[in-house]
Amino acid sequence: MIKSILGAFAAVMIALSSASPVAAAPQRISVTGEIIDTWCYVTEIMYALGTAHHQCAVWCAVGGIPVSILGEDGNVYVVLRLEEEDTNVANPTVIQIQTHQVTVDGDFYERDGVKYLFVTQVKDDQGVVNLNHEDYGIQPFGE
Amino acid sequence: MKTLQSVTLSLAFSSALLLISGAANAANEWGIEGEEKARFQAKVVDIACELTGNCPDNCGDGKRQLGLLRDDGTLLLVMKNFDTFAGGVNDLIGFCGKQVEVDGLLITTLHMPVFAVQFKRAPEGKWSRANQFSKDWSAANGQKAAQWFRNDPTVIETIKAKGVFGVPGLEPEAE
Repeated sequence: MIKSILGAFAAVMIALSSASPVAAAPQRISVTGEIIDTWCYVTEIMYALGTAHHQCAVWCAVGGIPVSILGEDGNVYVVLRLEEEDTNVANPTVIQIQTHQVTVDGDFYERDGVKYLFVTQVKDDQGVVNLNHEDYGIQPFGE
Repeated sequence: MKTLQSVTLSLAFSSALLLISGAANAANEWGIEGEEKARFQAKVVDIACELTGNCPDNCGDGKRQLGLLRDDGTLLLVMKNFDTFAGGVNDLIGFCGKQVEVDGLLITTLHMPVFAVQFKRAPEGKWSRANQFSKDWSAANGQKAAQWFRNDPTVIETIKAKGVFGVPGLEPEAE
């Protein structure tokens, strides 16, 4: 009897260990900031904010590079979900709000030095407000 | 701050060297601060699945960002491939849930560590350049992908609607 219980327990543990990853509990946070192209911003290969970089941010989002929110706290939050849309590669809705200043609520996870955000609600979208092209031109290429 | 032009030149130079040497499995330096050449084996995972347990089939069929789960449990976000302005999902989706060997740049930035995949292969398999995005784009659009970002229908439509600055009606000054 004990053997069969232990056997069943072992089977359950094996099944659980081979199933989907066990999710850690997220932290619900609110973030205000600019939607950015993550690659150009974090690697600093060019100036990568505002109107100056908008076109390139669209290119990169369409190319499947992760999109983030640069929070007012200076943190970069990689966006993996936008409300009901849980695709995050060249997501058409995200492409349309590149460079926008937004305030969102979301579930926050941090893993191995990367901050990830699953946006549950876009509370405010002010559109593109970081008008810096007169200072920085069009990044890159100037056109 | 490195310019895109210098990175592009470095890429072109390295590619030429690769063609000459035939050693298509050595990462190229891109001149980015914090970059380090890295070759390792890891499991390809859907990052959203890894974090939340919400796991569609086949890592989301190319619609979800992918990561490399290393043997020590470290999850690495793949942000870039070998193509201009493109990510690495197209290169790695075929390895969803499997081991892959990658060669590229591990870049430690002020904000996060990221990985740029330049070459990939199944363990002990044949190396191939991580430029699947441009191949797929070319096949889908019937044209060469060298300037894909200027010729992509979604890009053209988006820029036409909102302009290069993202603000309708705001245009560059004519020279």
